[in-house]
Amino acid sequence: MSPKRRKSATLPRPSEAAAAPLAGDPILRSVSRAAFALVILFAMLLLWRGHNAPGGGFIAGLMTACALILHRMAYGHSALRLDPARLVPWGLALSLVTGLVPYLLGRPFLKSDYGYITTALTGEFEWATALLFDLGVYLVVVGASLAIAYGLIDVEPDETVEGDG
Amino acid sequence: MTLAVLLPFLLAGLAAWLGPRLGRRTGYVAALAFVPALLLAVPLSGMPGTPPALEVTRWVPTLDLALAFRGDGFSLLFALLIGVIGALASLYSVAYLSERERFGRFYAYLLLFGGSMLGLVLSDNLVALFGFWEMTSVTSFLLIGLWHTRSAARDGAVKAFLVSVIGGLALLAAVALIGIAGGSTSLSGLDVDALRASPLFTPALLLTLLAAFTKSAQLPFHLWLPTAMEAPTPVSAFLHSATMVKAGVVLVAKFGLLFGSSALWSGIIVPVGLATLVWGSWLALRQTDLKALLAYSTVSQLGLLMSLYGLADAEGRFAATAHLLNHAAFKAALFFVVGIVDHETGTRELPMLGGLRRVLPLTFAAALLAALSMAGLPPLGGFISKELFYEGMLHHGPLFLAVAVLGSALTFAYSFRLLRVFWGPLRHPEDARPHEAPPGLTVPAGLLALTALVFGLLPGTAEALTRTAQGALNFAEYGGHLQLWHGVTPALLATLLTWGLGGLLVWQAGRVGDLQRRLTPRTNANTVYYALVDGTNIVASRLIARTQGLALPDQLRIMLVAAGLITGYGVWRAPQVFHAIGTPPLALLPTAALLVAGAVGVLLARSRLTAVVVTGLTGFGSAAAFLGLRAPDLALTQLLVEAVTVILFLLAFRFLPGSRDLPRTRWRYGLDVGLAASAGVGATLLVLASVRFLAPPISPYYLENSYRLGGGKNVVNVILVDFRGFDTLGEITVVGMVALAVLGLVRLGQRGRTPTSAEEEE
Repeated sequence: MSPKRRKSATLPRPSEAAAAPLAGDPILRSVSRAAFALVILFAMLLLWRGHNAPGGGFIAGLMTACALILHRMAYGHSALRLDPARLVPWGLALSLVTGLVPYLLGRPFLKSDYGYITTALTGEFEWATALLFDLGVYLVVVGASLAIAYGLIDVEPDETVEGDG
Repeated sequence: MTLAVLLPFLLAGLAAWLGPRLGRRTGYVAALAFVPALLLAVPLSGMPGTPPALEVTRWVPTLDLALAFRGDGFSLLFALLIGVIGALASLYSVAYLSERERFGRFYAYLLLFGGSMLGLVLSDNLVALFGFWEMTSVTSFLLIGLWHTRSAARDGAVKAFLVSVIGGLALLAAVALIGIAGGSTSLSGLDVDALRASPLFTPALLLTLLAAFTKSAQLPFHLWLPTAMEAPTPVSAFLHSATMVKAGVVLVAKFGLLFGSSALWSGIIVPVGLATLVWGSWLALRQTDLKALLAYSTVSQLGLLMSLYGLADAEGRFAATAHLLNHAAFKAALFFVVGIVDHETGTRELPMLGGLRRVLPLTFAAALLAALSMAGLPPLGGFISKELFYEGMLHHGPLFLAVAVLGSALTFAYSFRLLRVFWGPLRHPEDARPHEAPPGLTVPAGLLALTALVFGLLPGTAEALTRTAQGALNFAEYGGHLQLWHGVTPALLATLLTWGLGGLLVWQAGRVGDLQRRLTPRTNANTVYYALVDGTNIVASRLIARTQGLALPDQLRIMLVAAGLITGYGVWRAPQVFHAIGTPPLALLPTAALLVAGAVGVLLARSRLTAVVVTGLTGFGSAAAFLGLRAPDLALTQLLVEAVTVILFLLAFRFLPGSRDLPRTRWRYGLDVGLAASAGVGATLLVLASVRFLAPPISPYYLENSYRLGGGKNVVNVILVDFRGFDTLGEITVVGMVALAVLGLVRLGQRGRTPTSAEEEE
């Protein structure tokens, strides 16, 4: 996983030593392995059910970000294979396109649509275009908070900005 | 028409994609984009008989905003002009640009510009007209700054942009005023009488003039045009001859119908135009760079056009439209010629060139025709329109005519100065081997020069075009004819005088040059411009040093005081909108106590870590409060935000200086306590008092409709993704931008340091 990740990361990554103090604790690793999957699953649930119950893209995004930061801290490298900042434009684009589609179909911009499908497997099942929009929000939130957190992790603490006493 | 405007925009995207793949041949695709504009010649040819077509595409109906294009004779003529020059410029640049150019970018900008210009001249909707106007500013900024690694190009682009933005803002205001006073945003639907009677008439008039003057480089806004020649030559030809700079002329011509009745209109435009004519040609005579000479000549010619359209009578418009055609032909041809000279010899400096007619015979022929047309010699188009210009000025008094003659004599002189590069012994920079340019360069120049000749020899062609345009602009009937010879008239005498004066200027070129050097004023528009720009920068940096240079606590103090003053003023001015909503639920008291405890704890905390943990108390306290108020969504969000905040805090800890914050004096302590207390009390009171002010609560609507319209049971979420989806879109944009900004700040220390870091040197 490691070489691929390096390749896709655009930022000049400081030495792995910077992240070392945060990584390598076996207890943290074991706990985070279990917690990571659970938290991500829960985040997905929140995203999915957001339309009808407490949840939604924003909360799910924050929760995913928490899980990913935990993973990063425990293992010293990210579970994502790309620079999280790249999620931001994709999320924005997704939300925008979701809004544009009804506009191009002659309805108001961002007008959402929903309906019900019944399948044997799921029973009555509601779909809503709002979920796509929410997915965009989710991606932006994950990307933004991870970008900030990773950025902070990556910088060496004793590094000073020029002109800073 | 809609297609003519939109196709360049569509093909711009295609050109950007094709540029790196097809290279310079993208120019052929770019030329295609102007084909619909060329096809507008078909409705134009049947014009006096057929009524103007109106194509309306609804855009934002609630704002009375539409993409309305009205094909009257004047607009169509202008669109045709843009199409011809645009297509020729695209073809010309195929042969002109070097292999290493970034073609995608170049052609995309060129097409965007052409599309905006077409939109501008065809637009019937005032708001859309303003939009296209601004787009020409932006795209010309991109075009002028195309070679942005050169500081002169950056300077020219910024200058052009700043000047035309001033005009753009003026136009926005003018459009708003006209729309309000005239009762419509459609140019053809305006109530002209209501506009004239309105008190907004004069401000709208002045603002329109400001916009037109900045765009068309009239005094004292002429400074941007010569520096705009930093653009590649095909672009200059496009910008200077047909389009960008004539936007102001178009505005004056079109809006002359609205404002022409006022004496103020011609009273301002005509003197300014004539002054620009004289001053521009005076400056043009001084230039040693061929392109600079042409740029100043454009300034002066625009002055001429302005003054004629500014007359706002049938005669002036007729003459102006005729000259518009001639000018487009000869100026674009001359730019193409200068491009060829530059391309073949590698320089545009007059003193370094001479005798080029031997090596560039075709170019010389084109240059001769075009320059003589510019000088106003028969049998070329420029002669005829100059006669008309004199006729027009003659009716307004001998003083106007005298100024016009002076300006034209100077024009005569600089036209011949331009031709000097073709006379005399052959002279060019040593390393150049000039030979006739490829047909890709000579054909466009030759075509335009021939057009100038045709306009002169067969004045009927130009007259037909001019008359169509005139009829469509609701001009009063004007019986004049374009012809080379119409007897010995005062205008002819004035022409002879012009030639005499011009000949004298050419003959005594050396002395004139000396005189010009001696008369050069120390302050000119450029020095004023740079003084203004520098002044703004100095003021801004001082202001930043005063406010942003403070320590964070000081900035916070200033913000709190400002917020307090503004809110206080609001309460003081309109106390009636605030009224108490009664007591909050008592059950929340414990949570409130928790919040207060957290806030106070932050103040008392001795270490940063404690402070962060205690801040968490307020966050989780708020979450509890939300739960108590039956808002699980908000509580969940608050909890997660709190968790992420704590994580980010802990990560950021590593950067913070170790010690506790800045030492505070006793006086500062007092101030802070006072500020904190009053801010808290004020905010509480405001919240308690203003929750229900002004409008009835909107929540019942959401509660009733969220399931029916949005299909979701979670009202908060439905509001976020559906009812207020647009807000959410804006918010996530902000979130994304903030993340990128923080990332930039965080990485700041790394980037700058890497190349020179001590580790690498070791």
